[in-house]
Amino acid sequence: MKYKYEFDQLIIELYGDVDEHYVKKIRDDIDFLISRQGISSVVFDFKNVSFVDSTGLGLIFGRYKKLLARKVELLLRNVPSHVDRVFRTSGVYSVCPKI
Amino acid sequence: MDNYFKMQIPAKSENEAFARNTLAAFVLPLSPTVEELNDLKTAVSEAVTNCVVHAYDGDGSVAIVAEIHDNMLFVTISDNGKGIEDVDKAREPMYTSGGDERSGMGFTIMETFMDSVEITSSLGQGTSVTMTKSFGVC
Ligand SMILES: Nc1ncnc2c1ncn2[C@@H]1O[C@H](COP(=O)(O)OP(=O)(O)OP(=O)(O)O)[C@@H](O)[C@H]1O
Ligand SMILES: [Mg+2]
Repeated sequence: MKYKYEFDQLIIELYGDVDEHYVKKIRDDIDFLISRQGISSVVFDFKNVSFVDSTGLGLIFGRYKKLLARKVELLLRNVPSHVDRVFRTSGVYSVCPKI
Repeated sequence: MDNYFKMQIPAKSENEAFARNTLAAFVLPLSPTVEELNDLKTAVSEAVTNCVVHAYDGDGSVAIVAEIHDNMLFVTISDNGKGIEDVDKAREPMYTSGGDERSGMGFTIMETFMDSVEITSSLGQGTSVTMTKSFGVC
């Protein structure tokens, strides 16, 4: 996982296979990053993601709920087609738009 | 050629990639499309992850049995863990016993990405998920 700020937007780049094994290693780091005040939106970038299963959906929905309380948007970017298929099945785009 | 394999692995998240990639390698002789391979890997990952996350409080194992007949894959993924009280409820989209960190979409993804999904479970005995998928027919 890598992150950067573009003005007041926090960009989080995920890498490799986003499954239970990966998510449990990065979840706390992501929560620390998104807890920072002054962020207007958070973007998950999937450019370098080779695989995602429902654990990745749980990561998104879990962060979405935390950010919703602070009215911070969560956006999904550079979603490859194999990841898109999982996302479309789950309806995640109805709360976290694809950009 | 008809074929089969059986394997047993510790129910640890480290093994999820091994399990889904093994199944992907197993069906290669059926000339799957990239999309079919991804669907299979995702469905297998869902079933194995459920064994890892839900089945045991401590250590346990996951058994995988796969068979190919003609262009059909049959795969059974099972554990000897705590079992599911209400399988119909567990299958519902968004149902999860896992709290805020799980989406409850695992079984829905298996049903969407495979041709059939059958679940048998008994409390205290374990859970077994059998899925089928045929390859190369559109
Ligand atoms: N192998 C299993 N052993 C015990 N309970 C299970 C097993 N597999 C599934 N369950 C039960 O069925 C429920 C639904 O499973 P499903 O995979 O659809 O969602 P989830 O695992 O909770 O969330 P997600 O898959 O989206 O991370 C689980 O919350 C759990 O209660
Ligand atoms: Mg699951």
